[in-house]
Amino acid sequence: MRRIGILCLVLMVVGAFGAFANGQQEVEGLVEFDLWTQADEATNELPYLESLVEEYMEENDLVSIDVADMGTEDLREDFQTASIAGEAPELLWTVNDHAGPFTLARIIQPIDDIWEPIGDNLVEPEVLDDQVYGIPITSGNHLMLMYNKQYMDEPPQDTDEFKQMAQDIADEHGVHGFSYNATEPFWLVPWLGGFGGEVFAADGVTPTLDTPEMVQTLEFLYEIQHEWDFMPAEPDADTTDSLFQEGEVAMIISGDWAIGSYEDELGDDFGVARIPRVSETGEWPQPYTSGKYWMVANHVEGETREIIEDFIHWSLTEERQLELTQTVGALPAHVDVLDHPEITEDPILAGSASQLEVGTPMPSVPQMRANWDAMRVEMNLVLADDKDPAQAAADMQQGAEAAIEDMDIDDQL
Amino acid sequence: MERFTLGFVISSLEEAGSIILGIVLVVVLLQVIAYVVLHHGLKARLALPLTLLVPAAVGLAVLTGYPLLYNVWLAFTNMSLQHISPHVDPDFGVGQFIANIRRVFTRPVLHSEHFFPVFGRTVAYTALQVTFHVSIGLFLAMCLNRRMKLRGIYRTLILIPWAIPQIVAVLTWRTEFHFQYGFVNILLRNFGHSGFFWLSDRMTNWIAFNLVNIWLGVPFMSVILLGGLQSIDPNYYEAAEIDGATWRQRFRNITLPMIRPVLTPAAILGWIWTFNMFNVPYFINARNFESSDILVTALFRAAFEYNRYGFAAAFSIVVFVILLIFTVFYVKISGLELTKKASQKMK
Repeated sequence: MRRIGILCLVLMVVGAFGAFANGQQEVEGLVEFDLWTQADEATNELPYLESLVEEYMEENDLVSIDVADMGTEDLREDFQTASIAGEAPELLWTVNDHAGPFTLARIIQPIDDIWEPIGDNLVEPEVLDDQVYGIPITSGNHLMLMYNKQYMDEPPQDTDEFKQMAQDIADEHGVHGFSYNATEPFWLVPWLGGFGGEVFAADGVTPTLDTPEMVQTLEFLYEIQHEWDFMPAEPDADTTDSLFQEGEVAMIISGDWAIGSYEDELGDDFGVARIPRVSETGEWPQPYTSGKYWMVANHVEGETREIIEDFIHWSLTEERQLELTQTVGALPAHVDVLDHPEITEDPILAGSASQLEVGTPMPSVPQMRANWDAMRVEMNLVLADDKDPAQAAADMQQGAEAAIEDMDIDDQL
Repeated sequence: MERFTLGFVISSLEEAGSIILGIVLVVVLLQVIAYVVLHHGLKARLALPLTLLVPAAVGLAVLTGYPLLYNVWLAFTNMSLQHISPHVDPDFGVGQFIANIRRVFTRPVLHSEHFFPVFGRTVAYTALQVTFHVSIGLFLAMCLNRRMKLRGIYRTLILIPWAIPQIVAVLTWRTEFHFQYGFVNILLRNFGHSGFFWLSDRMTNWIAFNLVNIWLGVPFMSVILLGGLQSIDPNYYEAAEIDGATWRQRFRNITLPMIRPVLTPAAILGWIWTFNMFNVPYFINARNFESSDILVTALFRAAFEYNRYGFAAAFSIVVFVILLIFTVFYVKISGLELTKKASQKMK
């Protein structure tokens, strides 16, 4: 044991001297930068990004990109902390709602000049204060109805049909009719849109959570959880994902990030459609749409910035965007690729695109954080049968307003 | 993801080796400077031992002292997301500190709850936890202190909760508390009970995180108390037995007083760690119920979910002062008792 320890120590010291020697022989002109992403390995997104980076480095000997992946919230927190410490990565592949806090903190930079040469080919960028802060990589990142064709030929068209169909399947096949991540308000928002509600007033920053539409939404979620018998107990992201992959649930609501892995697992049995219309209003539910975006850290300049600009342009060509869609299953940001037969003739991607049509852009203002937290707490209390939906909606509003007030955003902008 | 190849191993060793080499060089440099200054410059009599202490002192100053001072500085500012950028300075001053402290007591520290309900819950949870840790820990320690077969194995087994990385243990427990698929309810169903909604009901979620924390806290206490029990001279018990002392009398008059020097710091540490326990209440509470939040989880949410760094720093100072008062009070009480007993014995 002792010998092994000594051997490891010797190897590390030799390695250190090796690294020191290598350091002396650094390639002249080599540009190195870090890329942080919240892409998930389980959904083919991370492997795609890594292969993209590998390919770029093979074509460009003098560029070295180090990719680090982490959870969405970890990326937000770590990027903020790293920026304070002056250790922030140069490039981010992340969701659009990070743009709000990052812009407020002034830790990402405007990239209008990088956007302009390719802007005509892509869907809308992330714009704050009339400046481009995020260049789209994918469109969507939206929720949709996913179903297992073993249990149904056609998906339900409205919520009445949906509830009855889910119950019939549960009774007939002994599986769950429906599941979703009931712990996160991101899954509440589409239904809120279907009932005609929005989380902000027209100014985009004042919460509008205490509304009849929110109460109806909470009542609907309560009803499918407690008054019918087709959902698993305590449904969350992991339960929903496992049950669907095992064929133990007929319908789920999940996002485009999971399409690739579900296609791999379920094959031809996998189907995608719009979340059914809300019978009471006749409106389609409106999931938030955002997609993934390139964002550039505030400190990046000079040659590194030029390389990053080249890399972003290179990654968003028609050919690579098509490859991204084929690998990950997410809809591309490139408008020509969106009309490509690979997408229009693929029932899964066409279903995802159809859902995207009725989606609504996700707010990226920092006030949204207060809304998310207020909705999460109250939604969970309603689903735990601990609070009346009307009271929950009132408390949501109060909680969001208090949190926004404490964030002091207006005072400090 | 990088593949586990020989090249990957070599590059990892290079990276680890560079860091170790760097640390060694810094330590050597510090000691050389310290020795030159102390021995040749100040002609200090204890130059060598002081030199050897310098790296540890510098390490403590950098890793503990600096963050503490930075936290105090933060509490005097309105540092928030808008001030992260080096180009924007936060407001600094006593007024800002008072405003932050006032906010701790007058504004909600969670979604809707104010400081005092959360504080009350934290104290109740801590008292409950330490009571369970000490009583179960002492019971197990006394069991393991007796002669029995496979004693070594039992002593090893009891350490398992402590040996598993805490975050792994807590997340595993969270999975096992799932209503339908967790083993806790499966076990209950085997006994004819339908199970509890451990994750989605406020009350049972609170019980769930308390159960996990008891499971995590008992091993430390039992190992420490076992050490204390082993240091008691068996002659005391033999003499007491000869005098006809009952089991209860032996426990009260020999065991408890003799392990008190171990029990007191262990209980104080247990109290502080439990009061500041983050992983268990935060991760078992997957649905963000305020009823399962304690002061430190509220503090975390303020700092890292709302980026209210100045407020959170002031909040942490309040928590620190509470723990300081408790510790001083507790040490004083136990110290007085010990002194009294000791003087009585002397008489």
